[in-house]
Amino acid sequence: MMDDVACPVLSNITLQDSYHKIIFDAPHIAASAKPGQFVHVEVDDTTEHVLRRPFSICDADAETGHLTLIYKVVGEGTAKLAKKPAGETCRILGPLGTAYQYKDDVFPVIAAGGFGSVSTMFLAKKTPRPGIIFMGARSKHDVLLVEEYRKLGWQVEIATDDGSEGFHGLITTLLLNHTNDFPAETKIFGCGPAPMLYALIKTVAPLKFPCDVSMEQHMGCGVGACFACVIKVKDPTSPDGWRYSRSCKEGVVYPSTEVYCG
Amino acid sequence: MADLTVKLGTLTLKNPVMTASGTFGYGAEYEDFFPVSALGALVVKGIAPWASHGNATPRIAEVKGGMLNAIGLQGPGVEAFLTGEHYLPHLKQTGATVIVNIWGKSPADYALVAERLETEREAIAAIEINVSCPNVKEGGLSFGTDPKSMASVVSAVRAKTTIPIITKLSPNVSRIADFAIAAQDAGSDMISLINTIPAMAIDVNTWRPKLANITGGLSGPAVKPVAIKLVYEAAKAVSIPVIGMGGIMSGLDAVEFLLAGASAVAAGTATFGNPRAPLEVIEGINRYLDERGIKSVQEIIGQVKIGK
Repeated sequence: MMDDVACPVLSNITLQDSYHKIIFDAPHIAASAKPGQFVHVEVDDTTEHVLRRPFSICDADAETGHLTLIYKVVGEGTAKLAKKPAGETCRILGPLGTAYQYKDDVFPVIAAGGFGSVSTMFLAKKTPRPGIIFMGARSKHDVLLVEEYRKLGWQVEIATDDGSEGFHGLITTLLLNHTNDFPAETKIFGCGPAPMLYALIKTVAPLKFPCDVSMEQHMGCGVGACFACVIKVKDPTSPDGWRYSRSCKEGVVYPSTEVYCG
Repeated sequence: MADLTVKLGTLTLKNPVMTASGTFGYGAEYEDFFPVSALGALVVKGIAPWASHGNATPRIAEVKGGMLNAIGLQGPGVEAFLTGEHYLPHLKQTGATVIVNIWGKSPADYALVAERLETEREAIAAIEINVSCPNVKEGGLSFGTDPKSMASVVSAVRAKTTIPIITKLSPNVSRIADFAIAAQDAGSDMISLINTIPAMAIDVNTWRPKLANITGGLSGPAVKPVAIKLVYEAAKAVSIPVIGMGGIMSGLDAVEFLLAGASAVAAGTATFGNPRAPLEVIEGINRYLDERGIKSVQEIIGQVKIGK
């Protein structure tokens, strides 16, 4: 059940460089969270930072009530979060947004750009069987969670912009090189920066595999009230052929065929 | 429990706390957190004669003590608002006191929306005229920074509706009293202020504005002292009720507006950080009054002490 509750921090550690992992005691979220959904976290209970920070759910365990988030320190808000010691609390609103959709016999293929592999970790744990994850990153320093995916039985294929690890080039090129290996029941799940996702949507369009993408924009309320985080989706009833959709409410996960690329 | 009832002309509210237009969607978005009928009034996002996309993204940026927005009045248009299942038909079932914010590009546009809303006058407690949005190219602020243009919009709306009218004023003017008086003289039953303050922020890494619209409107705690001053001045200038807003995060912030002369208040940016903020503002006002043995919220309205 979605709600807003003060959740104790259980641990908050540095993973690598500016990437951190925080675990909350958040039974209200862990009980119902689905892969692809996100939470809206209050990083500061003063009036200095008035907005919350949205984070993909990296793991949620219904039995222990633990909620795991992996985040990158990019500004003052996430820097404050990184300083939260165990025992302090943060108000957390969630779970929010739509989830990845798949059938029981799915062969999952993930295309995760940069930080996207954090959000798809929860998906990788929940799919009925392991599949292939394509990770795209600027350099080897930005490749996250490779061992964790391998432990779950996933085949990991890496593409880096600078060639410092794996394939030297775009993740979409790497994915296309492998499509012959995909079984008929394959579904592709994309998460990452917007340019990569739009490239992925165009790449998979001629393929026969369905695809979900996790799209987002700078967010305000997280519940569909402020209309800040919109993305363009196809809308045949609109004179322009598209409308702005609130990614926090109608997304963040959309079927790739619904996203308007133009 | 103090008596929180306030009277805004012919309109009586169960408590003085509203939601600021544009911060509460069309109401349904926050029903998971509290019954929206608990609000003094629910002010919906701006309604125009037409459906509109709004501005490009990013539309929001946090700044110290507040935020900038340039949503650009995305909305369904008045016909969809009147009949769409997520809009007025839904709001009617919630039992909320509904105020509809309206906008257009000409006085005739505003009048058209008012005329259509008049068909649902039993369900609409008031119409709030937005002549102060800083984020649309036509209409909006262009009416709100000239008293004559603003009055022409208010008169046009007045001619088409019996529903009480609130005129929402811009803070971006040299003498707020002129605008408060112009709204009153043109037939507005109340005024509300402030809308957001035109503002800008730049990303020092990319050298780009943080909003796609380049500029936006500043809201949140940072604007509260500006808003208090303008509410104080506007309330002194007119006899019609004033609705105060701008950075209200708590019951004590709301009390400050009431003391300055506001008969009601609105919470806005606070709701983005805390979905139950409007309810907590109501509770906070009540606590303040109870702690001081004040029986009715009406006893503190405009009671700021000036001089000896």
